[in-house]
Amino acid sequence: MQARHVQSSYRDRTDEFSGIVESRRRSIAPTAANNAPYGSGGRREDPRSAAANQSEFSKRASLIGLAIHQTSQKLSKLAQLAKRSSVFDDPTREIQELTVVIKQEISGLNGALLDLQAVRNNNSHDNDERSISRDTTSHSATVVDDLKNRLMDTTKEFKDVLTLRTENMKIQEDRMKKFSKISSKESANPFVRQRPLASKPSPSQPAPLPWANGSSSSSSQLVPRQGEAESSPLLQQSQQQQQQQQQMVPLQDTYMQNRAEALHNVESTIHELSNIFTQLATMVSQQGEIAIRIDQNMEDTLANVEGAQSQLTRYLNSISSNRWLMIKIFFVLIAFLMVFLFFVA
Amino acid sequence: MKITALLVLKAAPEATDPVILANASDVSHFGYFQRSSVKEFVVFVGRTVASRTPPSQRQSVQHEEYKVHAYNRNGLCAVGFMDDHYPVRSAFSLLNQVIDEYQKSFGETWRSAKEDSSQPWPYLAQALTKFQDPAEADKLLKIQRELDETKIILHKTIDSVLARGEKLDSLVEKSSDLSMASQMFYKQAKKTNSCCTIL
Repeated sequence: MQARHVQSSYRDRTDEFSGIVESRRRSIAPTAANNAPYGSGGRREDPRSAAANQSEFSKRASLIGLAIHQTSQKLSKLAQLAKRSSVFDDPTREIQELTVVIKQEISGLNGALLDLQAVRNNNSHDNDERSISRDTTSHSATVVDDLKNRLMDTTKEFKDVLTLRTENMKIQEDRMKKFSKISSKESANPFVRQRPLASKPSPSQPAPLPWANGSSSSSSQLVPRQGEAESSPLLQQSQQQQQQQQQMVPLQDTYMQNRAEALHNVESTIHELSNIFTQLATMVSQQGEIAIRIDQNMEDTLANVEGAQSQLTRYLNSISSNRWLMIKIFFVLIAFLMVFLFFVA
Repeated sequence: MKITALLVLKAAPEATDPVILANASDVSHFGYFQRSSVKEFVVFVGRTVASRTPPSQRQSVQHEEYKVHAYNRNGLCAVGFMDDHYPVRSAFSLLNQVIDEYQKSFGETWRSAKEDSSQPWPYLAQALTKFQDPAEADKLLKIQRELDETKIILHKTIDSVLARGEKLDSLVEKSSDLSMASQMFYKQAKKTNSCCTIL
């Protein structure tokens, strides 16, 4: 594992540093001066803190790497479980548990990686003078990147496994539907001699009607029977013969289902009819509007024609009453003659 | 879609054979020599089916080319022999009606019957003829049929209303043209009138 590798390469350095620190401490300890030059003190402490930080960093990195490895193992197990796509023996619960666990681990690893990164940043801020720390920073950066990549791969695998799982579940559902459809078709065919059908759970219905006692009058029986079909399955609940009951149940079911279906059809037909009626009413009202418009147009035409006729009659009257006109014409003629005479004479 | 026979039996519990209380069969479409055997066959199969129908259950059995529908209600069992086309629901509603009718007319006397009664029950014979058409027996079917007819009529109505709408549209156009023309006419008349007052 590379983490161990990293750690092992690191451990060497940490030992070196701790050795240097020890020697330095031993050499400076008798001076008992806390105002030793910051450089050496710093140098002393820095390597120590650097060492401590680095060791902490490496510890964390190694922990994270281990956790990633474990998660990927669990993931492979989950993938195997998901691939097992048999109709029966469906390890849904296990798969779900595993999924939850893996998700938690991945989120935990994410958080840890972020912490690691923060620690590295702190380290780099502390030790920016050292050339060794520069190497350290780059190294720690690579370590962090490597861990991040591995975590990303794990998450990707996780997603793939989940998609695979959903696809398989879909396929299984389709298969179940196919099977159940076949069985329901068999039960829907009461015209075949009864064979013992695969045990279908009898539907649980609410409290039984007085029918079950068989003591009610025929009139009351007529009404509920005509009304709704689903009350009859109650009768079979009160019977003791289980086997025949199982055969009867699908038959009663289909009978009642048929009735219910027929009622639904009737209801939907009535709805369609109401739709048609509303459409009809809309169309007729629209056309009524059109008719009113036509009526108005005709009235306008009538008014226009009447007005035109009155104008023409007036015109006719004015033309036929010639007296005033004749006088006017004579005046005009005389004026003309006058002008003519003037010019000539 | 025909009913061949209707039977009412008393379904005795388990071992004993059911007792026939009423029987109506329509064997007219069989040849003369086959009629009695068909009747026997009807009786026998009816008894078997009724004995195998548990109380408060409905059952349909396919026997050669007949479907035998049986409805057992608290010991009183109605069996009907129908052909394959007869809808199941109508068959069972018919059996329901038969049983109700029987209980209304005969009360509980049938419980004491020990042997096949040979008196014909006129209602059963009437029912046989009336319910040859499954719509009679099953109100749902009748309603559905009437609704379908109504729907067809409504579709036709809507088509005619659409045609009417088209005609009305053409009428509107014509009337608007007319009113335009009459307006021009009026203007012209006014113009000729107002022009020559000087003269």
